[in-house]
Amino acid sequence: MSAKPKLMRDVLIQEIFSRAQKDRNIIFISADLGAESLDLFRAQLPGQFIHPGICEQNMIDLAAGLAMSGKTVFTYAMASFITARCYEQLKVALGAMNQPVTVVSVGVGLGYDDAGPTHYTTEDIACMRALPNIEIWTPSDEESAREITVECCERPRFRYIRLERPALARAHHGGFRAAMSQGFCEVAPGSDAVILSSGYMLHRAMAAREQLKMAGTEVAVIDLFRIKPLSGRALTSHLSRFSHVITLEEQCLAGGFGGAVAEAFVDHGVAKPLLRLGLPDRYFFENGGRNHVLESCGLGTSAIVERVGEFLAPSHRRSAHLPNVPTLSSF
Amino acid sequence: MPSASPHKGRSAGTKVSYESLAQKSHWLRRKLFEMVMATKKGHIPSSFSSVELLVALFYGGVMRYEPGKPDDRDRDRLIVSKGHAAMALYPILADIGYFPESELTLFTRKDAMLRMYADPSIPGIDAISGSLGHGLGIACGFSLAAKQDGRPQRSFVVLGDSECYEGSVWESACFASHYELDNMVAIVDRNGLAIMGKTEELCRIGSLEEKFRSFGWESVSIDGHSYREIAEAYGRVGHTKGRPLAVIANTVKGKGIRFMENRSEWHNRMPNAAEQEQAWRDLETSCLSH
Repeated sequence: MSAKPKLMRDVLIQEIFSRAQKDRNIIFISADLGAESLDLFRAQLPGQFIHPGICEQNMIDLAAGLAMSGKTVFTYAMASFITARCYEQLKVALGAMNQPVTVVSVGVGLGYDDAGPTHYTTEDIACMRALPNIEIWTPSDEESAREITVECCERPRFRYIRLERPALARAHHGGFRAAMSQGFCEVAPGSDAVILSSGYMLHRAMAAREQLKMAGTEVAVIDLFRIKPLSGRALTSHLSRFSHVITLEEQCLAGGFGGAVAEAFVDHGVAKPLLRLGLPDRYFFENGGRNHVLESCGLGTSAIVERVGEFLAPSHRRSAHLPNVPTLSSF
Repeated sequence: MPSASPHKGRSAGTKVSYESLAQKSHWLRRKLFEMVMATKKGHIPSSFSSVELLVALFYGGVMRYEPGKPDDRDRDRLIVSKGHAAMALYPILADIGYFPESELTLFTRKDAMLRMYADPSIPGIDAISGSLGHGLGIACGFSLAAKQDGRPQRSFVVLGDSECYEGSVWESACFASHYELDNMVAIVDRNGLAIMGKTEELCRIGSLEEKFRSFGWESVSIDGHSYREIAEAYGRVGHTKGRPLAVIANTVKGKGIRFMENRSEWHNRMPNAAEQEQAWRDLETSCLSH
C-alpha cells in the first residue's frame, strides 16, 4: 500500500529548504500564506525567509530587485492573489525585465472550497499565459511537484507554478523527469480518444477514463503539465493517432488550457474534433464544496463521461470535421 | 557640496561648488530640450522638475559610481520610478561615459538604444520604469540583497508625487521601514501636478513628508531646485541608522521654460516654432537660485 500523499506545497518547500540550507542566495517570500513545512524554514533560515506583509504587489517588485542582485527567489501566496492581484508587477518587473523568479501559487481553480469568487482562481491560466517570457507548470502529484521544484532551483527563470491545495494521488511513476522537456506525457493509454488535462482535473480525467472503459470506450489520458511554452509540434504529432481530443480544465474556457490546445491545433493545421470541457463563463457563489460546483457545471465524473460519450457518438463522428465548442446551454 | 558618507567611487565625495552644479543643470536642460525637439517625443516638464535632484546625485558627490563602468557591482543603484522623466538621465549617463554621446541625438528613433521610457538594456538604467509604483519595490530588493551580502551599495529612487497615489508605493514604504533599509533613499519630485491638474485639487495627497515619517522613514522637505537645500538633505544619506530616507523635494514642473512652468497641459505637449524660440531664450539663462 502506498504512503499517504504529501501536500504539494510541502514537497516544494522541503526541496527548496534542503537546498537553501546550503545556498544562502535562495530566498523564499510568502505573502502571509503558511505551511507546516514553512515553519521549519522560517525557524532555521530566518534571513532567507521574508514576510513582506499581505502586499503581493511589493512582493513581486521586491523579488525582481532581489533576483537582479543575484538571488534565487521564490514568491508564494494564494493563487488568486499572486496572479490577478499583482498582474502589473508580474508583467513589468518579472516579464518585461525577464527576471528568473519562481511564482508559486496554492489553491488554483476551485481549490479553496466554498470561498467563492475572491479565492477561486479560474482565470489564472488565461491571464498568466498572456505574459511573454513566462513558463507555466501544473504538477499533478508529489513526483511532478518535486521535479518541477528541482528544475526551478537548478535552472531558475520566470516561472509560474500552480499548486493544488489538497494532496493528490500518484499520477506519475518515475517517468516525469524524462517528459519535462516536451511538457506533457501520456499517463494512461487508450485508442478511441484522448483527454488532455493537468493538476486536480487530471485525476478526474483518470476517473472518467475508468468509467468509459467499463462502457467499452478506450480513452487515453495525457498530463499536459506545461501549458506555456506548449510544445505544439510534439503535442499535435503525439495526438495524430487519436481521432478525437478532449481538454478538461477547472478554468474559464476563455483563454484557458483548452484554448491553448485549440491554438496549437490551428497553428499546426490540425482539424480534428476538439471538445473543451471547462467552467462556464460566470462567478461561483454557491456553497456545497468543490465537487458540488464542478458537478453543477457539468464537470462531475459522470457528466464528463456522458459528454465525452456524446462527443464520440457515431452521429457526431459524421460531422467530425468541425471542431466542437461547448456552449452555455450544454452545461 | 558635502560628502554623503564614506565611499570608494571616484564620483562620490567630490567637492563641487553650487555654481558648477547650476551650470550642469543648465547644460542638462538644454541637452534634454535638444533631444526632445529632434524627434518631438518625450516629457519636458516632468524631466525639468527633477534636473537639480539628478545633477546633485551624479555630480554632487552623492552617488557612488565608476565613470565608464555601468556594470560595476558595487555602484549605487538609481531608479527614476516616474518613468516619463527617466530620459533626464540619458545626457548624464552619456556624460559619465556609460554610452556614446551620439546616442542622444537618436533618442526614440527607430533601432536606437534610447527609448522614451527606460529599461536595463540601456547602460546605467537599473530597472524598467514607465508604469508608476514599481521603483520603490524593486529598490527594496536591491537594498535588502546588498545588506544580506554585506555590500556597501545604496539604492536611490526618484518618485513622482502623483506616483504616490499608487498603493504599491506604500506597500514598499512599509517594507523598507520594517526591514530597516537605511541604504535606501526615496526622492519625491513634488511638483504638485498630475496630467489633469494639481494633485491637491484632483485628489489631495497632503504632506508626503509626514506620510513617509509615519511609515518609519527619516523624512525631510526641501526646495528641489536649491542646491544648498538638496546638499543638506543628501548629506543625511548614510546617517539614518535603521531608517530609509525620504527627501520630499518641492519642485516646479517645467522649471526653466517659463511658459511651461506649473502648467499641467504641457505634460506631453510639444512647443511650436515660436514657442521653441521662446524656450531656447529661457534656456540661455539659468533661472535658479541657490
